[in-house]
Amino acid sequence: MAWYQVKGNDADTVFSSRIRFARNLTGYRFDKGLSEQDAGAIIERIGTALGEDYVKTDMQLLSPTKTEALVEQHVISRDFAAKKGPHALYRNDNKSLSVMALEEDHIRLQCILPGLALQDAYRFACECDDRLDAALDIAYDEQLGYLTHCPTNLGTGMRASVMLFLPALRAAGMIASLSHQLSKLGLTMRGLYGEGSEPSGCLYQVSNQVTLGCSEEEILRKLEEAVRSIIENERRLRGSLSAEAADRRADRIHRAEGTLRHATMISSQEFFSLYTDLKLGIALGEITSITDEALNTLLISILPATLSEHTGDAPKNAAARDKQRAAFIKKALGVSEQ
Amino acid sequence: MKCENCKTNEATFFYEQNINGESKSVCLCASCAAGYKGMPKLFGEGMPFHTNLLDGLFSFSGAPRQESGKTCPGCSATWRELQKSGKAICPRCYETFGEELKPTLRQLHGNVTHVGRAPAGRRAQKEKRDRLAELKNQLSEAIREEKFEEAATLRDEIRRLEKE
Repeated sequence: MAWYQVKGNDADTVFSSRIRFARNLTGYRFDKGLSEQDAGAIIERIGTALGEDYVKTDMQLLSPTKTEALVEQHVISRDFAAKKGPHALYRNDNKSLSVMALEEDHIRLQCILPGLALQDAYRFACECDDRLDAALDIAYDEQLGYLTHCPTNLGTGMRASVMLFLPALRAAGMIASLSHQLSKLGLTMRGLYGEGSEPSGCLYQVSNQVTLGCSEEEILRKLEEAVRSIIENERRLRGSLSAEAADRRADRIHRAEGTLRHATMISSQEFFSLYTDLKLGIALGEITSITDEALNTLLISILPATLSEHTGDAPKNAAARDKQRAAFIKKALGVSEQ
Repeated sequence: MKCENCKTNEATFFYEQNINGESKSVCLCASCAAGYKGMPKLFGEGMPFHTNLLDGLFSFSGAPRQESGKTCPGCSATWRELQKSGKAICPRCYETFGEELKPTLRQLHGNVTHVGRAPAGRRAQKEKRDRLAELKNQLSEAIREEKFEEAATLRDEIRRLEKE
């Protein structure tokens, strides 16, 4: 079962938590300028260090649809998907941990868990890191910490992030000021899904910016404190609507449910905006027929490549895909076709 | 808006940089932008928009522009090559060009000493170093406050650790 199919802590406001470590082997060039022979050797050494419970995927042999689906599922980065030359993905049995071999750094390992679970994600990532460390000579400097291709990742080489669902803060126009306050704490915020600066799914990712001079524990403490304060504000705002505004919100929520259950064509953009109302409806107890994890699963499953993977069919144009998407959603929700 | 450099032509290039909260912005016309040294890779070679804004990272943050003649023993790269790519070529580049990199790292991270995890083989060594630094601080403080008995205990502890 994938991480997004499981309900996590604080599911009303937090979608997922992720820890990513950047590591490199000594004795080799960083990604650019690496010979094909060295690239192959690094991939094999990483695989041997991880052991048999990690399954290898040779990215050069993977179809473009399957590669794109991994991007949509947050397993690999877009840069890794677009990369030419040898590169491979290793995943553990339950797929919570993934290791990109030869992304920008030789090793990019990440643990992604549902809900607010930074400490658990960090613990799992450390276990995987220890395994790599025991078998490989990792590039490290007493003063600069883990040595990475880009100097922005030096030090801990760690990027910790939390994906938050913040419809009330967004409606109150507080995202920009929140983002500004976070930057003063060495944290950054960016919108996910949708086009332009206004994400249509109200999902935002908060992560640490600084990696050098601050320990992993300190980074996690700072991030978690900031996230808890954001959650508190979001919840307070959700509960502080006037009776009329609350009625309008309830109407919007149930209309979204109606559209989701009965529409015959749904674009991914439309789904993102329906998602906002539906997820809020589930959190407020207005919607009981759809679970939070089922909705989150839909959020990933309706993306073009993952949808093609699920249905085994790649529609020729956007209209056909929108039709396929609506049918897929109905099936997932158990709505019988007319 | 007029170009802030020549003050004659209309400004068509707007560049904003924000590093650790310190922001800086420039508004230039096309010809002044081509010669702008603040972000050479971005504005150089007639390429107004570059996909990787971090290219030229070692060039716009007060880092030395002169070639020192050093080459990295790990990959034979020169300082100029690092500046060109904006990234290190191999792990040993950090040791080779440590001094040249310092201004960039200070601007990026605000601090240049790593705190936190270390590979298992280096962990004990790092802990020992951190402990020694802490004990030496305590020793200076004890001497300053004329707590000589405590200072003697600390000195013995430092000697014991250093012998280990």
